[in-house]
Order: sequence, then structure tokens, then C-alpha cells
Amino acid sequence: MVSLAISGFGTVGQGVAEVLRRREKFLTERYGSAPKVVCVMDSKTVARDPEGLDLAEIEKRKLETRSVGTETYSDSLEVLGSVDYDILIEVTPTDIKTGGVGLKNIKLALSRGKDVITVNKGPLALEFSSLIGLARKNGCKFRFEGTVGGAMPIINLCHENLVGENIRSVRGIFNGTCNYILSKMDKGQPYEQALKEAQQLGYAETDPTNDVEGYDTAAKCVILANSVFHRDVTFKDVKITGISQITADAVAQAASHNMVIRLIGEVSDTKLEVSPRLIPVGHPLGISGTLNIAQIDADLAGPITINGRGAGKIETASAILSDLIAILDERYGHA
Amino acid sequence: MMVNAELYVRDLPGQLVGSLEPISMVDGNIVGVVHDREQMVNQRILVSVTFEVSTSGQLDQLKAIWKSMDIIISKMGSVYETITTEYMVLGKFNAAYVDGLIEQASKIVNFESVDVGYSSGKSVSGKRTALITAELRGEEERIRLDEFFVHSCERDNLMLIRGL
Repeated sequence: MVSLAISGFGTVGQGVAEVLRRREKFLTERYGSAPKVVCVMDSKTVARDPEGLDLAEIEKRKLETRSVGTETYSDSLEVLGSVDYDILIEVTPTDIKTGGVGLKNIKLALSRGKDVITVNKGPLALEFSSLIGLARKNGCKFRFEGTVGGAMPIINLCHENLVGENIRSVRGIFNGTCNYILSKMDKGQPYEQALKEAQQLGYAETDPTNDVEGYDTAAKCVILANSVFHRDVTFKDVKITGISQITADAVAQAASHNMVIRLIGEVSDTKLEVSPRLIPVGHPLGISGTLNIAQIDADLAGPITINGRGAGKIETASAILSDLIAILDERYGHA
Repeated sequence: MMVNAELYVRDLPGQLVGSLEPISMVDGNIVGVVHDREQMVNQRILVSVTFEVSTSGQLDQLKAIWKSMDIIISKMGSVYETITTEYMVLGKFNAAYVDGLIEQASKIVNFESVDVGYSSGKSVSGKRTALITAELRGEEERIRLDEFFVHSCERDNLMLIRGL
């Protein structure tokens, strides 16, 4: 039976636990037995059991005590180094500047020959090449579908279904917060008011810099550039312009010409850019609300447009589930 | 290059198809054909054809074939596909600044047309918005104009929002 360790038990980690419970029957039928979770870590505590943890119990404890376990720890590497598991699900908070604890956890797991699934953008935006190299060197599977577009299956679509295509470019809306703000500005709200509303609804952080200055979209573009276009780029290579300087005047003028302004990430063999763009009303990339959307331009298939929820507890966990199934299919030789 | 030609062919069966075949023979690509039986001159009917060829050599070869087939070329001219591109400039500037930008840009691209609109209001911060809509001949010109506006706005500390 495959064993899992989950590092990070915030919104996404709890979503993973819930999805694993909800899909236990499916996983058991597909592989003979469902994977067992032998270790769950939040920022301060750890719960571990080599026989498998009761996820419902862990979720309940987290809700009631804000901790997953009673055992505290100071070094996640020490914990992960002492647990016997097959696949690490790394869902600690994203740190775009340093990669944070997630980067260390992923490196340790890969260097120990463990497969890794992550939705943590920081490590991939900063050290994509070295992490892929480490995974290859140690024969590990390293999957990260949920890092770009949440539940929208863009990376695996390009890698698997479109593997025979020459993908010329990918451009899209990869940040629901910015899109929400710009959609509200379309209706006449000033930027500050739209941002405040996004914060009240939980779409934007108290410090919205990562979203509104385009850093979050940039991290996703780096992941796409490296994984889909096989480039060797990092966060600092992205040309970034955010949306914080966009005025109500600009949005109104765009509207008078039947256009909207959207924050677009654009990636190709030569382009790596995040910037607000003028989009004709009715164009797929003119989408409103918090949805993410991507337009893939492939040489044989032509333009392919996908959209979906770019964030959310269960939505992001669904991307992790798809990565888990892909790894288990390979392990079990499932068609 | 895209070419539009007006041909007069004899009003006999097979002449219309016969006048188009040479375009394929020189590896040209027919985009559109209009066959106008109302326009008859000296027992010949008018055929307007738009086609694409890569080189002027192909065009010369085509003209020679049509001549040898007794097809009269009454008019021939190049037509271009134009693309429209938009640039929105945000920041502190005046109309003279935008006029200057367009004048500089016209030295590196051939505008088919260019139109500038300004936002109606001026914000408290003194910032304004200009939307420049340009019609250009092809993608290469668009790339050159993109680069020009990106460079100019970076230099002058203005925000640029490009069309898609």
C-alpha cells in the first residue's frame, strides 16, 4: 500500500484530506487499496502513524485545536527524514522570495528518492531546473499541476494530450483576484474599492502585493515556460507589470472602444511577460470574475481554450488528486 | 504578396478555369474570384481574381503565361491585409507628447491610419489616458511598433497597455 506524507495543513492540505476521504472507494477499486497517510504536518505540529492516520479525525482536531497533532516540531526536515513514506504532498504556503520551507521539503524528499506532488509555486518559480534535475537523478516523479490555474488542467494537458504538438504560445488569466478587481472596475468601481471588496470576500490577501503587482501570475508563467516550453528561466526573468496603476479612466476608455483590460500572462519560446492588455469584448480572454483561463496555440490543433477555478480548497485538491492518480497509475501499471 | 488582377478572357467554355490554372502552376494561392458576365468587351468577359504569390518572379512568370494564353490583363495591383493594434498610455503627459510619439513611430512603420482618443476626465493626480489605434501592414510592423511604444513608455515612466 502506498503511503503519503502531507506537509502543510492549511486550506489546501485540509482539502487534500477531504478529497482523499471522498475518493477512498474509487482509489480502493482502482488500485486494490487506497493510499494511507502516515504523516501530516502543519506549521507547528505533526501527526504520524506508520499504520495510517484517520483523516477525518485529523481534520476535526485541526478545526477544534488549530493543530494536527500534539507533537510539536521545529524542523520539518527532521520530521520528514524520520518518516517512511512513498509520496510527499507538499502544500505549505508559497514563498516567492526564498521558496520557504516548501523548497527544503521538496529537495529532501526528492534526494531521498520519494515522489513529490506540489501546488507550491515558490520552489518551482525559483529552482525549477534543479528540482527537475534532482527528480530525474533519483528516478522520482515530480508533479505540480495545481501550481498553475488550480483545477484547470493546463500542465498535464500540454504534457500528455498535446505531447505531439508544437505549442507556439500559452497566454491567459492566471490570477482570479486581479480578474475579480478588473471585472468590478468594468462596472465602474474604482480600483481601491474593488480591492477592498476582494479582500472582504477572501479573494485577496491583507497584503495584496503578490496578486495585484503580477508576481503570482509571473510565478505561474515561469512554471509554464520551464515545463511546457523547456526553457530555463526563473522569476527574475519575467517582465512584470501589475494592475495597481490602472485607473477607472483607463477602464472606461477601453469600454468606450468595446474592450476590457485584463492581466495576461504570456509565455512562448521567446516571450515571458505579465502585463495588463486590452481585450476585445467577446474574446475568450475577456472573461469576468474569479475564473482562470488559458489559450494554448498549438501548430496542429490550433487554438485551444480552457478555463476553470484557479483557486479554492477542493478545486486545488482535485489537481493534486489527478497528479496522485497519474503517479499511482505508473506504479500499478494501470492503463 | 497579395495581388488583385482584372483579366478579360474569351467567352468560351473552359476559359474561366483556364485563366485560373496558371496561378496554381506558379505555386500561387487563389484567395477570391469574381466572374462578371455583365462586363463584356469584344466578346470577352471580366474575371477579377485575388491571389497570393511569394515573389515578383512568380508574378512575372504568371503574366507571361496569361499573355501566351491570349488573356488580357486590364489591371493589376498589390493589395495588403492590414491589422489593427491598440496602445493605451497612462500617466502624466499632454497631447503634444502623444503627437510627438506618433511622429517618431511613423519613421519606423508605415501607418495605414492612426487615431488617438483621450480620456474625458483628468484625475486628481494629474494622470490621463490616451488610446492610440493604429492600422498597419502586417505582423512585422506591429512587432516594431510594439517595441517602440514599450521602449518609449519605459523611458518616460508611463504605463502602457497593449492590445492582445
